[in-house]
Amino acid sequence: MTMTVELLAPAGSIEMVGAVVDNGANAVYVGPRGWSRRRDTYELDDETVHGAIDRCHAGGAKCRVAINTNMQSSEIAPMLAKLERFVAWGVDGVIMTDVGAIAAVHRRFPDLTIHASIGANILNDEDVRFYQALGVSQVVADTKLKLGELASRHARIEAGIEILIHANKCYTYLGKCWMSPYHRLERGRDAAGKDLFKGSPNRGGLDYRVCLEAWALYSGDQLREPRVELKNDAFFLLDDIPKLIDLGVRCLKIQGREYRVALVGRITRFYRDLIDAYTARPQGRAFDLTSWRKRLAEIEAARDTARGEGTRLLLLEARQPVRSEGASTAPSDTSPTDRVAPAKPALGAA
Amino acid sequence: MTPAFELNTSISNLRDLRASDLGPYDAVYLGNIFCRVYEDNLLERPADLAEGVRIVADQGKRAYLATYAAPRNDFLPRLRKALEVAVTAGAAAVEVHNLGILKIVRDEFPSLPAHIGGFANVYTDAGALVLKDFGAVRITPNYELDLQEIDQIARDGGMPMELLVHGKMPLGISDYCFLLDYEAAWGIECPALCQQDLFLTKDGWAMKSVGKGVLSGKDVCMLEHLPRLVAAGHRNFRIEAVSESPAYRHDVGSVYRQALTRALSGEYDVEPGWWDLVQRHSRLGLCNGFYFGQSGMDYRGVRPEAAAAILQIAPREGR
Repeated sequence: MTMTVELLAPAGSIEMVGAVVDNGANAVYVGPRGWSRRRDTYELDDETVHGAIDRCHAGGAKCRVAINTNMQSSEIAPMLAKLERFVAWGVDGVIMTDVGAIAAVHRRFPDLTIHASIGANILNDEDVRFYQALGVSQVVADTKLKLGELASRHARIEAGIEILIHANKCYTYLGKCWMSPYHRLERGRDAAGKDLFKGSPNRGGLDYRVCLEAWALYSGDQLREPRVELKNDAFFLLDDIPKLIDLGVRCLKIQGREYRVALVGRITRFYRDLIDAYTARPQGRAFDLTSWRKRLAEIEAARDTARGEGTRLLLLEARQPVRSEGASTAPSDTSPTDRVAPAKPALGAA
Repeated sequence: MTPAFELNTSISNLRDLRASDLGPYDAVYLGNIFCRVYEDNLLERPADLAEGVRIVADQGKRAYLATYAAPRNDFLPRLRKALEVAVTAGAAAVEVHNLGILKIVRDEFPSLPAHIGGFANVYTDAGALVLKDFGAVRITPNYELDLQEIDQIARDGGMPMELLVHGKMPLGISDYCFLLDYEAAWGIECPALCQQDLFLTKDGWAMKSVGKGVLSGKDVCMLEHLPRLVAAGHRNFRIEAVSESPAYRHDVGSVYRQALTRALSGEYDVEPGWWDLVQRHSRLGLCNGFYFGQSGMDYRGVRPEAAAAILQIAPREGR
């Protein structure tokens, strides 16, 4: 018998919450402003999180909050206070990365379901056991893991596995990359006092996607390749969906808070229909994906257009000078002295 | 007598270890954390690892085992073997970048002290306390942290910090080596490919590539700021030289040995000769990483020229 699999959808606005619930999401995740792995534009203030929880529950869906930045030590207490409100409003789970924050949340809210985020970069079975020991009950599988590795994990560990079915597969492992803030990091607090760490996907959510720049490759002073690509592919899973359902994964997760509401609604509806069709098929009958492939291609084209434009704008933004008001809220003990413009690399400009 | 500080570095294989003068150092991390097929990676060669530990110990230094930054399930048998060899050979500690490996060390090799590496993503004092409960005794905090955050973790996390003070700062780790695409075109095969001193550049930006790893294009340099670090109580310092030459390892290590000794004495000046050496070994200039809450490639200090690019350094020494 095929187990029920949960379809988890993103929401970067209250409108998106409604769209994904109406299109069949079993659960929705939202990010409180400044606390999740997305730009603050796609996060919600606390009152809107409250509205999102209510909207999800009214539509029969669960609501999770992603508090999955790598926060500062001093932010754990305010994080707990914020989560206290969400728990009182009925939030169904929290998605987290920092092990200290996870332990603190599990101590304070022992009945709250904790999901280890993609940012935790859980790669092997012993990793899963480590997070389970902290109180985590579900883990998001890294996008680089192969089906065989997931099968192994499922067979050996009683943990819920969440699989990203629409997401980016970066050149680097998620959670183990700080190429973006190496090139541009803007410190500065928002109106609520949260340091947004603009440029750091791990700390504030905004990633300039510098890996997608048109890099040239030099060996010493010799130009080896005028253009190399560090693979960073956005993907939709299709062929693997039946296998994942058969494997018993607990949750299929869609990423995409930064996309338009209508597109995320379409993506959610596509996977809802696919999961329902597969699980409703007569036992033992082959499942033909041909028509699904065609339908997905149209969605993929729309996504690619949006993503390409988003990347172009991010790379432009990454070249902007860091704003001085950001610097004013940065740590003060930068002694001694004068700020120096970064040196221009000696190697040729590509 | 207990040394006032520890200066350590990193070495991937026996060839590099034998070519390196470890004089400036107190300890060495053995093994390449980025790639299993790095040339004769000590993590994959038990006999070499045992020999490496012996070479380091014979010089009166501490040998530490490094472990992979991103180990999948199929890495684990080899890593368990390396841990077994490290214990038998007398390694003084193991550095872990993955929390599953930390659990393995605690459960199966409890005599081996665990240092937490920069890829293990320690961002908070609360996180440090969790890892302390799992047996960690030292932490390299994530490279994104500024000094105030690091000080707080050192104060409230219950463990000493280890700080990268010079060298290429790791920026990312991949499971995919894009350099393999160029084996045929370049006529250079793995494992020599990633040792070609490779830099990715674009309009003033640069990163060093080691195939599966990305490092800062500039060298992190804290030479001007050592008094700040020792005043905060930090005593464990790393020259990150896993992708550098023995000459780099020796020259930069010698500078920092002298500089740290002087910083701890309370009277500190950066000697011009020190600048000359570190700049000579820096192809693309210097930066401070994230220590001052800024973009990682920026540099702050009283010597603006310290950040300047060195336009020509050919031929590079020792390569």
